[in-house]
Amino acid sequence: MKRREFLATSIIATGALGFGFGPGPLRAQEPVSGGTLIWGHSETTQNLDMHQTGTASTARVLQNIHDGIVTINSEMQVVPQLAESFEVSDDGLTYTFRLREGVMFHDGSTMTAEDVRYSFERLRDPETGAVNFEVFNDVDAIETPDDLTVIIRMSRANAPFLARLAENGAGVIMPAGSGDIQGDTPTGAGPFRFVRREFGNEVELVRFDDYWDGPAYLDGILAREITEPTVRLTGLRTGELHFINDIPAERIAEVEADPDLQVRTWAPLNFDFVNFNHNLELFQDRRVRQAFDLMIDKEMLMQGALWGQGDTTPTPSFPTDPARNSDIAQRAQDIEQARALLQEAGYAPGTLNVVFKVTTNYPYHVDSAQIIAEWARAAGVNMTIEQLTWADWLSQVWVDRDFEMTMMNFFTIWEPDRLYYSLYHSTGGFNYRNIADPLIDELAEQARGEVDPQARIDLYKRIQQYIYDESLDVVLWYRNGSIAAQPSVGGLDTVVHPNGSNLNFHKVWLDA
Amino acid sequence: MRKFLSAKALIGLALVLTVVAVAILSPLFIAPERATQMVMSARLQPPSLAYPLGTDQLGRDLLARVMLGAQTSLMIAVLAVGMSIVLGLPLGIISGYFGGRIDNVLMRIIDALLSFPALLLALTISAVLGPNLQNTIIAIGIAFTPFLARIVRGEALRVVQMPYVEAARAAGTRDGQMILRHILPNIMPALIVQATISLAFAVLAEAALSFLGLGTQPPMASWGLMIQASRQFLDLAPWTALVPGAALAITILGLNLLGDVLRDVLDPRVR
Amino acid sequence: MAYLVSRLMSVALTLFLISIVTFGITNILPGDVAMMIMGTQSNPEALEGLRQSLGLNDPLLVQYGRWIGGMLSGNWGASLLFNEPIAPLIAQKVLASGLIVVMTMIMALAFAIPLGVWAARHRDRWQDTTSSTVALLGLSMPDFFIGIMLILLFAAGLGWLPSSGFVDPSEDFLGAVRHAFMPSLALALGLMAHLTRMTRSAMMGILNQEFIRVARAKGLPERTVVWGYALPNAIGPVMTVAGLQIGYLFGSIIVIESLFSYTGMGWLTYQALLNRDIPLIQSTIFVIAAVVMLVNLAVDLLYRVIDPRIRLG
Repeated sequence: MKRREFLATSIIATGALGFGFGPGPLRAQEPVSGGTLIWGHSETTQNLDMHQTGTASTARVLQNIHDGIVTINSEMQVVPQLAESFEVSDDGLTYTFRLREGVMFHDGSTMTAEDVRYSFERLRDPETGAVNFEVFNDVDAIETPDDLTVIIRMSRANAPFLARLAENGAGVIMPAGSGDIQGDTPTGAGPFRFVRREFGNEVELVRFDDYWDGPAYLDGILAREITEPTVRLTGLRTGELHFINDIPAERIAEVEADPDLQVRTWAPLNFDFVNFNHNLELFQDRRVRQAFDLMIDKEMLMQGALWGQGDTTPTPSFPTDPARNSDIAQRAQDIEQARALLQEAGYAPGTLNVVFKVTTNYPYHVDSAQIIAEWARAAGVNMTIEQLTWADWLSQVWVDRDFEMTMMNFFTIWEPDRLYYSLYHSTGGFNYRNIADPLIDELAEQARGEVDPQARIDLYKRIQQYIYDESLDVVLWYRNGSIAAQPSVGGLDTVVHPNGSNLNFHKVWLDA
Repeated sequence: MRKFLSAKALIGLALVLTVVAVAILSPLFIAPERATQMVMSARLQPPSLAYPLGTDQLGRDLLARVMLGAQTSLMIAVLAVGMSIVLGLPLGIISGYFGGRIDNVLMRIIDALLSFPALLLALTISAVLGPNLQNTIIAIGIAFTPFLARIVRGEALRVVQMPYVEAARAAGTRDGQMILRHILPNIMPALIVQATISLAFAVLAEAALSFLGLGTQPPMASWGLMIQASRQFLDLAPWTALVPGAALAITILGLNLLGDVLRDVLDPRVR
Repeated sequence: MAYLVSRLMSVALTLFLISIVTFGITNILPGDVAMMIMGTQSNPEALEGLRQSLGLNDPLLVQYGRWIGGMLSGNWGASLLFNEPIAPLIAQKVLASGLIVVMTMIMALAFAIPLGVWAARHRDRWQDTTSSTVALLGLSMPDFFIGIMLILLFAAGLGWLPSSGFVDPSEDFLGAVRHAFMPSLALALGLMAHLTRMTRSAMMGILNQEFIRVARAKGLPERTVVWGYALPNAIGPVMTVAGLQIGYLFGSIIVIESLFSYTGMGWLTYQALLNRDIPLIQSTIFVIAAVVMLVNLAVDLLYRVIDPRIRLG
């Protein structure tokens, strides 16, 4: 098998994330240097240590401070970033990275293989508490034969390894020995340098003039944390903010029609799905799960909860993922059939009580739950909604797995192994639904070690079909992401990272 | 007597009675489904003939919701204040009646508790217990207890010094009898006044808790929840916030007026 | 002197009790910080490792001792979630909220005193009723609702004021005031009601007294009588009530600051609660309670000094 085919194992696709535009104001095309971009950020940043942080919000900001050894391009292919080139052996056991020369870190040092080794070893070390430490589970040894070469030897073939390294959380390169300060002063090799973070208020970044890929145009970025959507939008309109992310769904149409603002929407930002706790006898019966699937009119739910800002989908695979099974079609709503199935499973109308836990962290989940509850009632099910704060949801549903039904979204899981193994394998790290299906386990494990890209794709398609047939979850939709900016902001098309969530301002400028 | 007929009293009474009437009667005339029924094609509609107060973001009739919401809000307030009385009354009486070291110890603790703003206490308790209907009642009830206990104690102290009460005690009346026959009836007026004012604060507290996401749960039609849900649509559809806001204001205003009047009439110190 | 000592001991005791209540409440909270830090990327092993390193597995008494000891020696620990030392964080946020409290008080008093005096002078006539109505309206609307309407009016509608955020007063005082203006106004309108009524009843009580009649009999202009003689005596009780309201204000501030994304103590406390950041919750709740207690103490002492029976002339 040729190396090049293996390299493309992650994803080759013809399209990037689908982008949408509004009429927008006419603007100059020439980048100019200078200015500080004031960004109204929708979420609060948390732990600033790139290895330890698990939240999409912090990653969005840190994206500008850190570069990784590899990254993905808009076609979802793994391409070199801090590495100049890379090679994988035919048997998939040896990865060789040739590093770029003269890459500077924010602290003034130059990147060498030692920094790469340090970063990966730190990630691997359970003491660090790194979120992605399992990426390196199959790694035997990390060798640095010279200053610009890193060789990683695997104990067995791990097909998604390279793609995982393209995520900043795993592949980020920090200066050797900087682990202790990363929580206060994140330091990396990215286009912007960290200046300060005023807790809950704003994060200030300044241009790193020695960035290996050429200095950014902006002098700096001020990321002001404004969680209130109306306040954020108002701030943009009044000119207090240059740029905002996450426009409330019901406003997107209105903002798109506004000639004084630039807007970009894209799919997907994340996918959403409804979950069952498979430890409950109730949900071990496929008929019951399917009944709930049939209760939901996905298109109407999306109109209701997301104001149409999304695309329904029966499978959580990224739209541009070649491993996506496009032959599956979502089940249409059929309340009669749902009721019949429940009856068959032994639940006459009015006898089934279900508690649906949902988090206020995502208000559209709360709206969705209310709509689903209405349909459930029509199908003879008494559904009670429990609104949990994010902390409570994580505690009860994610950690304790104490729930009956719930719904959740996941950002940036475009890599199929990460998606299907973590979410559906019985030992998967994201498998809070207690799914323990031997067929899925077998397929996922096989896919992880499968070196032939086509065979891998087929395995994932089988998994998706199975998930659909068994209604293990009810996958709903991809949600659109959105950003909006003042007319003076240029380079808006370069901002959104291919993973659909992170934002990178390297090629953004402010008109004079 | 004139005080009962003053404009203030009449308005206060009228407002409160209206709200109470709505709370009690509306479930009889409006099917509960009206408050949760969603009509996707009629979302965020301004007031019209079909929907006299407009609709919210899920197409639900605001008139139905605000009226049924009266029941929720009042019930929570009444039960919460009731709970604070059940907890605070005995504490206050014991402290005021027995005095001495018991009073010292109890008041120290109550004073410490009073240093925590009531809303903060309610928020924390709600976070501890998990936000839902019952726990909101418990949270507000516990949060209001220290203040109530203090008021009761103050009254008990005052009553205990009244001449005829001293006489009864000198005559050898047992403590239980003293409290039931002499102390309790004399603190009633102040208690009633305080309870009315507390009701107003309880309604406010429930709204604040729900607004912060630590109160009642959807799809329940509580006023605080309605304001919280309207937050996103303020400039698109201001009536979604104005309707529950007005309902809250009317209720709180009525209760405050009523409390004022009751104080003028009942509070022995003002007479 | 002895009185002062006994008051100080009383303060210490109360602070101790406050600390116990705070510790007790925060440690019954379900969920924990390790899980909040990791979010949906967590797994059991990583969680356990983090918990161990954060000291979350030690017995309660040990954790309490550690906390108290730390506070007394000036080490307030770090916010687990945000990796920032707590003491400077709280210091800054207390100032931020302090700005709001001061502005609220100024606004409320600036409205309430003239209004209350006016009402008292024209007792039981239309001026009285109007002022009572205005005051009651302010009292009846939830302050967060007023806040929402203010945002609509001043920020979205007229664009006069920033709709959110916070500016450090030591850096940019004017900017800080601009950002604190709407939150303070929202709080002040409710507070004003109370103070108006208090002013009114205090003034009414005083205007009836002998020495006022004497002053009038002397032929002094009414304005001087009211503002020069009566009001100074009424100020005492009014300020007392105002001071006692600070406790209530610190409760409302939680909601208002969250609404305006104004990062003061209220906002900090709410975020800490939401995120189960135990050290931060303990510190913020303790500080709020301590501040309220100290303010109440100060008001109490002041009340003894400003005896309402003091007269002029």
